[in-house]
Amino acid sequence: MFKNDQRMDLNRRDLLKAAAALLVDQWAASRAIAGTSNPVTDRKVVIVTCGGIRREDTFADSGFSNIPHFSRDLLSQGVFYPFVHNNGVTSHYNTIASILTGNWQRLDDWGQSAPASPTFFEYLRKALKFRQDQAWFISSNKALTSRIGASSVSSFGPGYGANVIFPKQLLISAVVHAASQGRAVRGTDRATVQPELEAILNSDNYDGLGWSVSGESSGLDRITLGVIQQAIEDLIRTSSPVTGDEFTYLVSVEVLKRFAPSLMVITFSDMEVAHFGSYSLHLAGISTVDRLVYELWNQLQSDSAYKGKTTLLVLPEFGRDFDGSSTNGFFNHRQNSESTRITWMLCLGDAIRRAQIIEEPVQHTDICSTVTRLFEVKNLDLASKPIPGLYL
Amino acid sequence: MSAGASKRMHVSGEAGELDSYRALIKRLPVTIRPAFNGQLAGWDTLFPFERQRFRDLMRGVASFDAPKFEALIAPLRQLENKMGVQGWNFSQTNDTMENASLLARSADYPEWRNQVQRFYSTIQNSAHSTAPAQAQQSRIVVAILPKCLPFDRSTVWKSWENLGIEVSIEGEASHVAEHLLKQESPVLSQEPDPSDLWLIDAASGISAVNNPASILNCAALSALRERVLAEVNTVPKSIEVTDQTLAAIRAHNWDQWWPPELKSDPLLHKFVMDVYLSGNGALIFSNAFVQWAANEAIRRARPRVLFARFGMRAKPKPFTGIAIFENQQHISALPDVDDPQGSALDAVVLARYILLSAQRHPESEQTAFLCVAESARSAYLVLPDALKSTWNNQKSATPEQIAQYLINHLSARTGNHG
Repeated sequence: MFKNDQRMDLNRRDLLKAAAALLVDQWAASRAIAGTSNPVTDRKVVIVTCGGIRREDTFADSGFSNIPHFSRDLLSQGVFYPFVHNNGVTSHYNTIASILTGNWQRLDDWGQSAPASPTFFEYLRKALKFRQDQAWFISSNKALTSRIGASSVSSFGPGYGANVIFPKQLLISAVVHAASQGRAVRGTDRATVQPELEAILNSDNYDGLGWSVSGESSGLDRITLGVIQQAIEDLIRTSSPVTGDEFTYLVSVEVLKRFAPSLMVITFSDMEVAHFGSYSLHLAGISTVDRLVYELWNQLQSDSAYKGKTTLLVLPEFGRDFDGSSTNGFFNHRQNSESTRITWMLCLGDAIRRAQIIEEPVQHTDICSTVTRLFEVKNLDLASKPIPGLYL
Repeated sequence: MSAGASKRMHVSGEAGELDSYRALIKRLPVTIRPAFNGQLAGWDTLFPFERQRFRDLMRGVASFDAPKFEALIAPLRQLENKMGVQGWNFSQTNDTMENASLLARSADYPEWRNQVQRFYSTIQNSAHSTAPAQAQQSRIVVAILPKCLPFDRSTVWKSWENLGIEVSIEGEASHVAEHLLKQESPVLSQEPDPSDLWLIDAASGISAVNNPASILNCAALSALRERVLAEVNTVPKSIEVTDQTLAAIRAHNWDQWWPPELKSDPLLHKFVMDVYLSGNGALIFSNAFVQWAANEAIRRARPRVLFARFGMRAKPKPFTGIAIFENQQHISALPDVDDPQGSALDAVVLARYILLSAQRHPESEQTAFLCVAESARSAYLVLPDALKSTWNNQKSATPEQIAQYLINHLSARTGNHG
């Protein structure tokens, strides 16, 4: 099971990195953009949301073993909020849209409509004249669509939205397409998944995958294509599980390196295997996020573009239903209960005043106000308030 | 035809009764109608308990005179108006995903749930006050964690929060189930209705019985499961289209895919399809199927005896770790590799979920629950307060003693309720 694979073997990770680099390369090639700092502020904010996780499976005696990095390595460096309330619709699309906008969103659960009020991406890009490559939304979550990156508000909208990428969907599309054509994924058969991936990577239109890439088409150079072909081949050949979150993480790191964006949201979702009823794989997903966030934090500390000027917020989107509930416990997140609605948040880095635990309840919608204040964008008509314990 | 299928054929002559229910349902608030209408539409595939419960609820509705009924439903009607239900694309004929989504994203959803609970509670109380007293029936639920799943006796019941009694099994643990299910066992012979005895199995670990029973074997259903999963995986990101697809799957003729023992059992056909299409992993993992089918059987049929036997799942394969909702046998040609540790954790958690589910129903007051971890030769016995004195606090027992205790319990009738 994943949990026992505390680290991916280096060889496979290198190959996945190559795949992640290729995705970002392609985006960069089409825009001819190199990473630059923002003229208004060098401040950086990275927000990680991680699906539905109960407090009892994480920050509780019964859960600490699932989150060794959060509880041992990171908690002592950050501000911890043990009572974060999700008072909205506890579905993925609505919750993430609420975090981005600072208003409880009540939208189609499957992302058919854009958030009804501006996202912090739009506030920041409009006020600070951020380019689009300075605001990214990178997600593992299948329940989202690219509409999450910008609101339907006419004075804001996609022109001020974030780049939205679903790396996992790219691989899923390739694998499923191969299978639908009767080509099972075999370790010995190069002609299975690679052509599917190449076709998608070379495609001009990424809409189906949630990319918000626009403009000229781009192709892969042959050297890079060779790298990805080898990466995918070896990825298929290995007998170890590969998680969507691992790939999302690697793509996120590539984006951080290439574009040094001011604002990035990453959503992980391996733990959502809980919907299928495997508690062991759900816990493995939690442990994967624990490891990836730790690696992300170390990455940010080792990168001069981020070290000393980055604030990292990590929070579950909601909890999960309690054991014995009529909604089948950990499988789902539909109950109007504390187990589902109350979760936690850890804040690290530049903005924190000191490491502490703040028991004052905060809400998911407070994050939007917090982010805009971190970038000194004021006089916004936001109902929520910034979270306490930070330099704002 | 399974042993009990012939008993389940619809008896005609109920048309007038059903018409009277349709008239009653029209008096209900809009958001309550789909659940009732859905049950009415599938009347022929309701279990006896479901029909009785439906009749009870209708009797409860009918027991109110017009002014009192209007007063009862007024808060819910007002709330529906406030929520704007009239403007929704809300199905009144059956529960749909779109209905659930529309309700859940309303700001008034928590209050709506409260009002619906209040409504059901009131009509149930009214129905019960006019119902004849019924004999209580002793029941057992047995969950089996088979020998292939590794457990440590000292930790296996750690998460069960002292709900029951740990019993060390002196001898071969698999004999507990074998004793309970041997041909002459009273476990099998008491009631003729197949919905009274359920055997739900991840693989093929429970021996077949000749008595009327509802027998579901996840492995035997694999061909059907794969076909249904393939259809489910075609749904796009649209709730409306998903509802249409799920309705089409329900309406499809799956006859060629049912295993021989279920070929002519429309109640179990409907039940299995409901289990598959209500999520909760039943299409993906066999242990999730066992748990969710057991929960649903307890909720919908209130059986006298239910066996749930868990099994092994394979480790996720490359790419299917990413796309786990897919059929990994088709996606990857790599051989399956068992995941005993992960399967064991899944199974013991899901076995506890069956217990917790059973405890939500009043029948739990007469239910003895036993979970057997065969590899640890350990059993966990959970008894309601009224029965706790009947187990003599033995810390260890032979398989025969444990089985005989449950047989004795089943043979007892424990009074009346009214």
